[in-house]
Amino acid sequence: MSTWTETAGFEAPPDGDAFLSVRDLRVRFSTEDGTVHAVDGISFDLARGRTLGIVGESGSGKSVTGLSVLGLHDPRTTEVTGRVLLDGQEVIGAREKTLERLRGDTVAMVFQDSLTALSPYHTVGEQIAEPYRKHKGASRREARRRAIEMLDRVGIPNPRLRVDDHPHQFSGGMRQRAMIAMALVCDPDLLIADEPTTALDVTVQAQILDLLKDLQQEFGSAIVLITHDLGVVAETADDVLVMYAGRVVERGPAAEVLRSPRHPYTRGLLGSVPRLDGDVEEDLVPIPGFPPNLLDPPTGCAFHPRCAFVGEVGGTRCVDERPTPPAGRGAACHLTADRRRVLFAEQTDEQAAEQAAEQTEPRPR
Amino acid sequence: MRSRRIRRARPVAVTLAVGALLLGGCSAGGGGASDDRGGGEPAEQRSPIEFADAEASTGPAEDVPGARKGGTLRVYQRDSYAHLDPAQIYVQDEMALAHLIHRKLTHVKLDNDGTYSVVGDLATDSGRPSDDGRTWTYTLKDDIRFEDGSPITSKDVRHTFERLFAPFITQGPTFVQQWMANKTGAAYRELLPDGPYEGDHLPDSVLETPDEKTIVFHFSEPRNDLPYALAMSGYAVVSAEKDTRQKYDKDPLASGPYKIESFRSGKSMKLVRNPEWDPKTDAARHQYVDGFDITFNHQYEDSTKRLLNDSGEARTAVSFTNAVDAGSYQRVMREAKDRTVSGYQSFVAQLAINTDRVEDVRVRQAIAYAFPSKPYLAPYGGPSGGELAGGLISPLLPGYEKDYDPFGKLKKPGGDPEKARELLEKAGKVGMKLTYAYRNSNEEQKASIAVADALEKAGFDVQRKELPTDTYYDLIGDVDNGYDIYVNNWGHDWSSISTVIPPLYDGREIQDGGSNYAHVDDPEINSRIDEVRGIADPEKSAKEWFELGKYILEEVTPAVPIFYYKHTQIAGSKVGGLVYNNDMSNLDVTKLYLKQ
Amino acid sequence: MLRFLMRRTLGAVVILLIISACTFFLFYAIPRDPALLHCGKTCDPESLEIIRRNLGLDKPLTEQYWAYMAGIFTGRDFAVGPCPAPCFGYSFASNEPVWGTILDRLPTTVSLALGGAVVFLLLGLGAGMLAAWRRGGFVDKFLSSVSLVLSSLQIYFVGPLAIALLVYQLDLFRQPEYVPITSSPVDWFAGLLIPWVVLSLIFTAQYTRMSRSTLIEQLGEDHVRAARAKGLSGRTVFFRYAWRGSLIPIVTIFGIDLGALFGGAMVTEFTFTLPGLGRLAVDSVLDTDLPMLMGVMLFAATMIVLFNILVDAVYALIDPRVRLS
Repeated sequence: MSTWTETAGFEAPPDGDAFLSVRDLRVRFSTEDGTVHAVDGISFDLARGRTLGIVGESGSGKSVTGLSVLGLHDPRTTEVTGRVLLDGQEVIGAREKTLERLRGDTVAMVFQDSLTALSPYHTVGEQIAEPYRKHKGASRREARRRAIEMLDRVGIPNPRLRVDDHPHQFSGGMRQRAMIAMALVCDPDLLIADEPTTALDVTVQAQILDLLKDLQQEFGSAIVLITHDLGVVAETADDVLVMYAGRVVERGPAAEVLRSPRHPYTRGLLGSVPRLDGDVEEDLVPIPGFPPNLLDPPTGCAFHPRCAFVGEVGGTRCVDERPTPPAGRGAACHLTADRRRVLFAEQTDEQAAEQAAEQTEPRPR
Repeated sequence: MRSRRIRRARPVAVTLAVGALLLGGCSAGGGGASDDRGGGEPAEQRSPIEFADAEASTGPAEDVPGARKGGTLRVYQRDSYAHLDPAQIYVQDEMALAHLIHRKLTHVKLDNDGTYSVVGDLATDSGRPSDDGRTWTYTLKDDIRFEDGSPITSKDVRHTFERLFAPFITQGPTFVQQWMANKTGAAYRELLPDGPYEGDHLPDSVLETPDEKTIVFHFSEPRNDLPYALAMSGYAVVSAEKDTRQKYDKDPLASGPYKIESFRSGKSMKLVRNPEWDPKTDAARHQYVDGFDITFNHQYEDSTKRLLNDSGEARTAVSFTNAVDAGSYQRVMREAKDRTVSGYQSFVAQLAINTDRVEDVRVRQAIAYAFPSKPYLAPYGGPSGGELAGGLISPLLPGYEKDYDPFGKLKKPGGDPEKARELLEKAGKVGMKLTYAYRNSNEEQKASIAVADALEKAGFDVQRKELPTDTYYDLIGDVDNGYDIYVNNWGHDWSSISTVIPPLYDGREIQDGGSNYAHVDDPEINSRIDEVRGIADPEKSAKEWFELGKYILEEVTPAVPIFYYKHTQIAGSKVGGLVYNNDMSNLDVTKLYLKQ
Repeated sequence: MLRFLMRRTLGAVVILLIISACTFFLFYAIPRDPALLHCGKTCDPESLEIIRRNLGLDKPLTEQYWAYMAGIFTGRDFAVGPCPAPCFGYSFASNEPVWGTILDRLPTTVSLALGGAVVFLLLGLGAGMLAAWRRGGFVDKFLSSVSLVLSSLQIYFVGPLAIALLVYQLDLFRQPEYVPITSSPVDWFAGLLIPWVVLSLIFTAQYTRMSRSTLIEQLGEDHVRAARAKGLSGRTVFFRYAWRGSLIPIVTIFGIDLGALFGGAMVTEFTFTLPGLGRLAVDSVLDTDLPMLMGVMLFAATMIVLFNILVDAVYALIDPRVRLS
């Protein structure tokens, strides 16, 4: 079973087989300066046992998307529209009581910074046990035993002792494991991991990702992996969703998107990420320009102010016309597939030439 | 910030007290000088207080009409008592307390008909002079005792006067000590530098105590004011046996109708009846109430508000010395006039002219004509705070003449700039620079504008100089102070002009820290002071003092009269015996009783 | 814990020494002679000299300071009477032992401070929590406006107004006064009720706003969101997570406030004629009463320092990250 059927698209009805189905999700924050269009109409499906990577720069709306799935936005300052179906249950507009039942039990979340996401005032054990008692009705003792078990499972040595530690007594990697233990304590069907490894060093990062994979196999959970790190996606995700300015710009199976990106933004991202397996000498190619201001997003294609190929598209289409978000494998770009292939190839050659030229001159150190 | 009494020279004390009285702004600015007299105004007193004989000095005191015994009186006071040792008592609120607990050789008695007389208190009479007033003999009454039951003897009286010379006694009056030593200033201390504590005593040539009952004072000069001076609380008797020196200030032995049951400095004091006090020995005091329950820290606004509202314990309450604050004055007069008493205080506000710097008498007279008395009084509450003055002598003093007004201060209370300019032109001093120093209190700041305006209208070039209230009297007390004109308030110590003219205008008293603020040194004044001091007849003496005052004001003009301080007090509705006592400058604490 | 206490105590002693030295030497910078206080109407230079000698003001400043500070630990003997340690001398103005006077005034100040603190903690934290819970809503806006009004009130204005209305007009309350709790708990309570409420008005406003804003800030914390992501109810998250976190700034301010109140609430004491330490401090300045001023200043400073140490100890209870070492 694939993550999404080829026909699943913008207007397609929610996929009955998918565990998580998101349709035309829009999230707007009202701030003092105006309305921020953080998520501007995205749709996707995710089946059990699969991992979806959502990538993008900071501010692209990926974390906001994750929080929407749990219904965690403050209704006083946020307007959320569209549909989020979680195991057939509508999340948007659901009563708080319903959401509380889902959160931590059906869907759990791992946050980016375990130092701030764990309460400094409570022991790790308490924090892991808490949702277990709430959702499973376990006694204090049972919950504690479960917490120790979970700590053991995520690879914390001496879990019986460490269960009474406070988060600040853990190392960064251990804390992240503890948070994963906290998220998985009720065997959730869906795990949303928001930059779970960003704050960690490379070795620990790999361990955590392995842990997630193992646990997924064990529990059969679906995972939404939110990251700005394409390396992580390459290693973990089955499918990938590339977001820019609150919109989906490209999607498809992870391996395919990374190997042959179709959107200039994705291509740019790939160029700007050091690859674990890549040539160390190869220079990063940052995408010129800055992420758009979401208070006043650009017209037409949101990426056009930074896109190198605006001139290649006829007329002012990039400025005026909003490209269609892809359904299935595809990219939201006005370039035709053929033209794109030619242009991408030329660009690669240029970069290679530049690098060659630079390497012949002594580098200023 | 609330002004508050600084326990210092009395003039400072009262100006500050009056300042506090006026917190909350000036009230009714209008009203003339002598046309508005508050309720309960005492009869004007011009003839001298009589020195009474043994019969008038014999107790018990005549009853206050309607008085009954019993009950405890609540008393609201602003300041806690700093001193209980009589030798350290010189400020008004402590003197009021002293009238209840301490007795002296003499006392100023106020009869029901309003006459005052100096009577013997511990002594059988007001004193028997001989040798032209150089020798005074006193005999102690029988059955006078301290609160511990020990009899009061001449030994105690000798001790009382000898300890005044001890170095730790620094705050009380110094008149009698100076007379004994025949010295001015602090030089009297050389007569008995350690007091009686190192075995030395005053020689018989100064103080003689031939037997248990007899005390004889010997002075080198006639001291016809002695009966007045001995009536001061500062000369109240201290037990020779139970003198604890410095500690006596906290725990004195009472000789009056009440004794201290408890005292918590800054908080409260309880007075109860002193059973050892025998009414038959006291011609003036009563023991109507069972006791007094005094609490401190009541600002004038606070005590006035409580007493005016007259609910609960406030019905049986009074304040010995707190005045009605200016902000409440109108309301008090409208709603509770029958529960008030009012009268003059001993203080006279006057503008001293530094005669060292303003040498031409015509210029000084020009200042006197130009000075705007009424606008000056306005910030002090107008008629509620004082009455415009025509002369430098308080209406409370014998010899005072009501219509005396040489510079037209009553007829033209706003000043007479034309007359002033005329004089200034004659002197050829138009445009003369005058440095005017004043305290940085609210009232003085307001008043100073009016003063500067009026003087400039008369042709002076006025430089205003603001001085801090705390150090004002020290700064103007310097002989070389650098200012031309400055206001000072002076109060008499007893009912005689002899406690006003010599300290203020005797050229031989000019010194740093002295009270001759105008630095006037006029040979005629100096010699006439000595002359009048020698007059034994009170009637004649009073008249001569006032005549000297006329000469000083009209011919020398070292100061401009401004106003006589007045104040009003209020009591709860159950309090009886409310009588204003001119000698005490507040209500008579010895006459109070509680109604049924 | 022991090391913490030792280190903090040492620090406190240094601070108190600095404060005492500042108070002492600044006192002499006041252009006013304390001897004048004791000088009668005829105050000539000779008399002033005698008084200075009596008060010990004729000795060099450093010597006076040393004698004073040493006296605190060893006691001293004065002509007015003995002064056992801790000896802060005898008041220039009242001739009472300073320490005795402070102890005598302390119950008033402590009663006022504690009672006021209870009122403003209950009202302030309660209102702050309610406002934060209903943030953005009517209740929040109402409470915020009320606290704004309250914080712009002044005790010397509200106090007399409250007395005029509640005591004189409506006769609902008693004239404020201090009655020792030992002599009559009911009178103690009734006598201090108005001062408590008036004193706490401004504090209440301050604590409402502070607890509201720290709570809202805490509610935006990652761990609070994480707690909600676990499915915990809003109430649980509010009380177990957000409230706990908001305690730290509140405890800090409360410690300072209470310490300061223990040193005397001057305006309140003046307004209601309560003889506490604040009044004593003001009076000692007005009276140029050095020993009393030193005593009260040192006492008040000690209270503030002490409460600061206490606050730090309480931190450790609230926040396990804080270690007392």
